[in-house]
Amino acid sequence: MSNMVTQRNGIHRFFLQLGSKWAIIFLILGAILFSIISPGFLSFNGIQVILINSPFILLLALAETFVIITGGIDLSVGFVMGFASVVSAKLIALLVVMGMNDLFSIITGIVITLFIGIIPGFVNGILVARLKVPPFIATFSMLGITHGVSELLIKGVVAKNLPVLAGKIGNGSLIYIVPGKTVSFFIKPLIQRGGNLIEILPTVFVIPFIFILIFAFILKRTKFGQHTYAIGGNVDAAIRAGINVKNHLIKIYMLSSLFATIAGILYVLRYITGKADAGTGFLLDGIVAVVIGGASLYGGIGSVWKTIIGCFIILVLENGLRMLGFPTFYKYILVGIVLIFAVLVDKLFPELIHKEN
Amino acid sequence: MKKSLLWIVVLLLSIAMVTAFSLFGCKVAEEEVVAEEEVVAEEEAVAEEEAVAEEEAVEEVFTMLFVPGIADPFYYTMEKGMQAKADELGVNLIVAEYPKSWGPEAQVPILEAAAAAGGIDLIITAPTSTDALIAPLKNLYDKGIAIITVDCFLGDGDYSVESNYSFPLSYIGTDNKLGGLEVARNLAELMGEKGKVFLMNTNPDTSSVVARGEGFTEGIAEFPDMTLVGEDWCLDDQQKAQQIVTAALQKDPDITGVFGVNVFSAQGAYQAVVNAGLTGAVKIATWDATQDLINALKDGTVDMILAQKPGEMGSLCVEWGLKYLRDGTEVPKKVIPGFEFFTKENVDDPDMQQFIYTK
Repeated sequence: MSNMVTQRNGIHRFFLQLGSKWAIIFLILGAILFSIISPGFLSFNGIQVILINSPFILLLALAETFVIITGGIDLSVGFVMGFASVVSAKLIALLVVMGMNDLFSIITGIVITLFIGIIPGFVNGILVARLKVPPFIATFSMLGITHGVSELLIKGVVAKNLPVLAGKIGNGSLIYIVPGKTVSFFIKPLIQRGGNLIEILPTVFVIPFIFILIFAFILKRTKFGQHTYAIGGNVDAAIRAGINVKNHLIKIYMLSSLFATIAGILYVLRYITGKADAGTGFLLDGIVAVVIGGASLYGGIGSVWKTIIGCFIILVLENGLRMLGFPTFYKYILVGIVLIFAVLVDKLFPELIHKEN
Repeated sequence: MKKSLLWIVVLLLSIAMVTAFSLFGCKVAEEEVVAEEEVVAEEEAVAEEEAVAEEEAVEEVFTMLFVPGIADPFYYTMEKGMQAKADELGVNLIVAEYPKSWGPEAQVPILEAAAAAGGIDLIITAPTSTDALIAPLKNLYDKGIAIITVDCFLGDGDYSVESNYSFPLSYIGTDNKLGGLEVARNLAELMGEKGKVFLMNTNPDTSSVVARGEGFTEGIAEFPDMTLVGEDWCLDDQQKAQQIVTAALQKDPDITGVFGVNVFSAQGAYQAVVNAGLTGAVKIATWDATQDLINALKDGTVDMILAQKPGEMGSLCVEWGLKYLRDGTEVPKKVIPGFEFFTKENVDDPDMQQFIYTK
């Protein structure tokens, strides 16, 4: 009798384990499915294409992960990304016109943009933490403001005239291998056209990935991360525990803007154009990825790695369908279904979450 | 209980997905089989011919990829022209997803995903940005894929001079500047060579419309009694075009001519003119003979349409592309098909119907 109970528990636990990992199972199944039906999906180039298209959704989802864990939401990230793309494109073009060397203009432009880009987050943080404006409203206003300011900066068109070097960085890779000859980092070796050159890890993927590694660690292992969870779980308890909730929230919103700014800068490097609406398509994907990753919009639950799995579910669907030649609309439908599924799993089986945390 | 429910849901969803995709997969596979059969038939025919000449008779089938600029009748018509030529010449043509908005952020991921499927010899594309498409296309070019830009070009479009964007085989498309110039002259004729005109442009990042604007500006300057009162950009947003033209008409009520450089700007422009009750008083010239604009011309809300020849462009791309791939022929750096003008007088002319774009 007791044997049966333990056995039942064993099976139960096994299913619970599987259930809590449904997202990653779904991702793997999706990847296998596309590898079978879509030529080139599992190829080296196919994987590179997924990675090179990943940075914007990864960064915006990373931004949302932090904000959503505190129980808030940041709707401004999409247009902060556009704002950053416009500001950095304008700055770099200006510095080049002023006679600065291309590389230094790009670096200087990026550094200045990073500082300007956290201003919207700072204002969001003040509004949410100190003035008790609901995050939805505060960040929505910031969405409008950053959109308007960036459109004004470029007068409703696009920011252009960036040095060619910017495009080379944004469309380059971390490692280049000419089989049997050379291995080089960042600098594309000169080979005969059509020759065998293996490009590994697009630069635009490596940069967000470094941030993901750092901030996954910060969220999981540091006091900063624990405070983030504590605020989302129960604000009053967090205050009683002596956490400076107001300052912490301001930092979280600044962090969110910082990630969006980096996304904007990467957009400029990849497309050598600054656009006010650069990030519109990625905001919702970012939030969806966080929710698919199992984070609760009420706060306190979520993790960077699960968000990344959510991102890759969207990316695999998107790129797999694209390689088959299907219109993007199918992706919207499938992502919608996955999202409903994610929320249903959380609603119907709360023990899956509680077990994790 | 709940556990089993969860697993039933998971099972059902995965079965549904597997079935759905295997069905799609079958469809794709069937098409491939058909294509292969056709190819085999053609190869046999070729082999028979060449058997006489006693030569090696292995005809290589080339694969071309078409990446359009945006989902609109212009590119659909171009695809039809391309497909017809490809069928005729035995070229395998793959058409990538149509981007639903105009811009590198929509087009580049599609381009890269479609190219990653592999086996592509030539890419035919309309670069949606003169700058942003250089690096992604160069990467593909370096992998050994030939590039033809159609309708729009990279940089300043001059591929004959060595530069970082001179790698495409050719630019095949309308001489947009000449078109703009001709539009200006024809519009001037309609307006009695006097009055104020407004230029409703779309996107300063796109080579084709910028050149139309330049040509138009030069054309208007040829007439001393005409002035161009303004130029603005609607970014392919019809509503924005309507707002801009409404504002322009309020600022300069004596505007008597508007040039909308493409479908969206023209439709926004004529809507603004209709709303202001100025139909007929303000002459509207536009570009691209879509069915909607032709209907508008018949209704009298638009006065003149420049029709490009997208089908011919598509056909030329495949033809030149194959010559290059198969025979190594030098492709001219610019191939310029002409254009036609639709007016109220000739819109019902049977000879002109072939220039209306299909859906």
